[in-house]
Amino acid sequence: MEAVFPLVAGLNLDFNALPQQLINGIIVGSIYALIALGYTMVYGVLRLINFAHGEVFMLGAYTALLTSYTMGYSPEAVKKIFQDGGEVSSNPLNLVILILISMAVCAVIGALIEFFAYRPMRGESRTAALITAIGVSLFLQYAGQLFLPANPPPSISDKVNPYSGSFSHVFKPAQIAEDGNVISTAMEVSITHGRLTMLVTVIVLMSLLTYLVMYTKAGRAMRAASHDFDSASLMGINVNRVVTFTFMLGSALAGAGAMMLATFEGTALQPFFGVLPGVKAFVAAVLGGIGNIPGAVLGGIVMGLAETFVTWLGFSQYKDAVAFVILIIVLLLKPGGLLGSSKVEKV
Amino acid sequence: MSLSKILGTRVISIIVAVAACVILDMALSSVIKDAYYIRLVMLAGIYVTLSVSLNLINGITGQFSIGHAGFYMVGAYAAGLSSNAFFDKQPLAMPAYLIVSILIGAGAAAVAGLIVGLPSLRLKGDYLAVVTLGFGEIIRIVTLNQEAWGGSYGYNVTNKYQSIALVFLLAIVCIAVCRNLLKSVHGLSFLAIREDEVAAQAMGVNLTRTKVTAFVVGAAFAGAAGALFAHDSGFINPDLFKMEVSFLILTMVVLGGTGSITGSVFAAMTLFIIPEMGRIIKFEVSQGMLVALLLAVGAMVWAIRRTTNHFHGAKPQKSLRYLLSVLVPIGVGFGVGKVIETYTILGDKIYKANDLRFVILALVLLVVMLIRPSGLFGHHEFSWDWVKSLFNRRAVKVEA
Repeated sequence: MEAVFPLVAGLNLDFNALPQQLINGIIVGSIYALIALGYTMVYGVLRLINFAHGEVFMLGAYTALLTSYTMGYSPEAVKKIFQDGGEVSSNPLNLVILILISMAVCAVIGALIEFFAYRPMRGESRTAALITAIGVSLFLQYAGQLFLPANPPPSISDKVNPYSGSFSHVFKPAQIAEDGNVISTAMEVSITHGRLTMLVTVIVLMSLLTYLVMYTKAGRAMRAASHDFDSASLMGINVNRVVTFTFMLGSALAGAGAMMLATFEGTALQPFFGVLPGVKAFVAAVLGGIGNIPGAVLGGIVMGLAETFVTWLGFSQYKDAVAFVILIIVLLLKPGGLLGSSKVEKV
Repeated sequence: MSLSKILGTRVISIIVAVAACVILDMALSSVIKDAYYIRLVMLAGIYVTLSVSLNLINGITGQFSIGHAGFYMVGAYAAGLSSNAFFDKQPLAMPAYLIVSILIGAGAAAVAGLIVGLPSLRLKGDYLAVVTLGFGEIIRIVTLNQEAWGGSYGYNVTNKYQSIALVFLLAIVCIAVCRNLLKSVHGLSFLAIREDEVAAQAMGVNLTRTKVTAFVVGAAFAGAAGALFAHDSGFINPDLFKMEVSFLILTMVVLGGTGSITGSVFAAMTLFIIPEMGRIIKFEVSQGMLVALLLAVGAMVWAIRRTTNHFHGAKPQKSLRYLLSVLVPIGVGFGVGKVIETYTILGDKIYKANDLRFVILALVLLVVMLIRPSGLFGHHEFSWDWVKSLFNRRAVKVEA
């Protein structure tokens, strides 16, 4: 290996862990992609960076967690059941209900934010709208700090989660060492049921989104508004309805991602935890070319892979910076993003 | 021959500014004994510098930068590290030592601004915004991982030297530079770029050079403010320069009115003071009252917007309607809150003023943006002519 990678020889890399890291990266990236879709769709229609999207994500995670408490997954109830020797219901239908509730609540929150904060700002300058978005984001964070519990215990823990088992596969690729002998190393790849469910759900949601955007009347209206907002309204498209629909769609996707993060991954929740995934997803959206739906997915996956790759290299403390480094390199070489078009503005 | 003719107005104004700052310094440090309030005054001055310097980039040149905290941080660390390393025995007299330190901070931030600005100012609008945000974060994360600089534990500036006078002097210099720039050829080319890049280019403005100049000048002032901050607090930590700080500075610029120096100064003071008010003024609200008042503020915004957009009556009537649209929702909200409070419909949790500081800040931000989207001052500046015209108008009325 040292002959092949002389530069990284000093880093003591574990190449057997690479496939596992790739899978982790794709899963993390798929969640980023899910959030990035919300940014990119709103930007496509309104040319507005919706900074409050990360907070919608945060509220979705709280909705999922607090709802799961009422469904009998509360930490006390689970503890009691374990003490009394019973079994916690591991009905997958519960998870489906949970994700639907989270998506619905997020969609409503997104629509409300649009109606009360962004719609009055529509005719105003874009910086004013951006500051309003920052204001909404700050307001939700600090109001959340007042009204929401900080660090609530995760509800669907490993013991309860019906998806906590994992598939694993060991494969032994043959390698030829420098002296000509064939050596074999064992590479193990394992993926928990929960993460697999996450991946499948993301793929299903994205297919649904593609169908909605490409093959329905509402989707066509959305594409028209994103192409040219004013002309679309002149052609009889109810642009207000399109904007509301876009916000609901993006927020619902964020809600789905939040629910999966809160339940399957057991991420610790606090009112500020939406900021970092929000910013990263936003960077992913810009990376792929903001306003471009496949671009957001690509950007999210690239971000996820880059982060796990940097962790694998042993620079996990630079994990949050690598996103921006990639972004800057891509934007300097291709100013419109990976899949975006960099049109020159004409007078 | 008058004094102004011998020395020139410029020299006199410089002398007056320095004297005012020194007198203010002495007055404040003799009146206020509490270190907390002195720190507040200093930070307010630092934030004025930060917001005016970002205004030069964002408001006047129209380049959307949201990474200002990065340059602020570069200045703070450059000043902190250099003063600990080189000025062990403090060879210079104290104010001169601080000025050298400020210059080091400003220089380092200017170099950082040049490095960031040269490649990224090719980008426009939101893309530029994201790249500047990214640079700010990269600078922060790299610093976070420097063991020699204290990493996440922070860095102690042992050779610190506090001076309120210099904080205000820097703010005044920053304001003066921006104001005078606006009247010069360079400043006019900044404005031309903001209004229309293509037209400015056609008129012979060198786009890249002008943009980078504005960026470097803005960054240098942010660095100088950072140096003062390092000396003022004596302790710096990467967490003090997160992107939330950039957002706060940007908010000051937009809230004051993009491009208005007066607005930036005013908004910097206001936004800085509001969260601190929660520590100074003590009050308590119940959960029910809080929810009712939040809804009342929403109703107030709706009523004010309705008056602005749909009411075309005479001026006194319009003022009356504005007054009513503030008083009625808040009054009703207060009443409803009292009812909820007495019957404990929403739980009996009590919030202290300290918990509400940032909610109030966010609320003020939203309310101002929704009822006055061009910012408090719009494009306008404070001027003595305006003050005179106020008095003249009244005088004319009295005569009539």
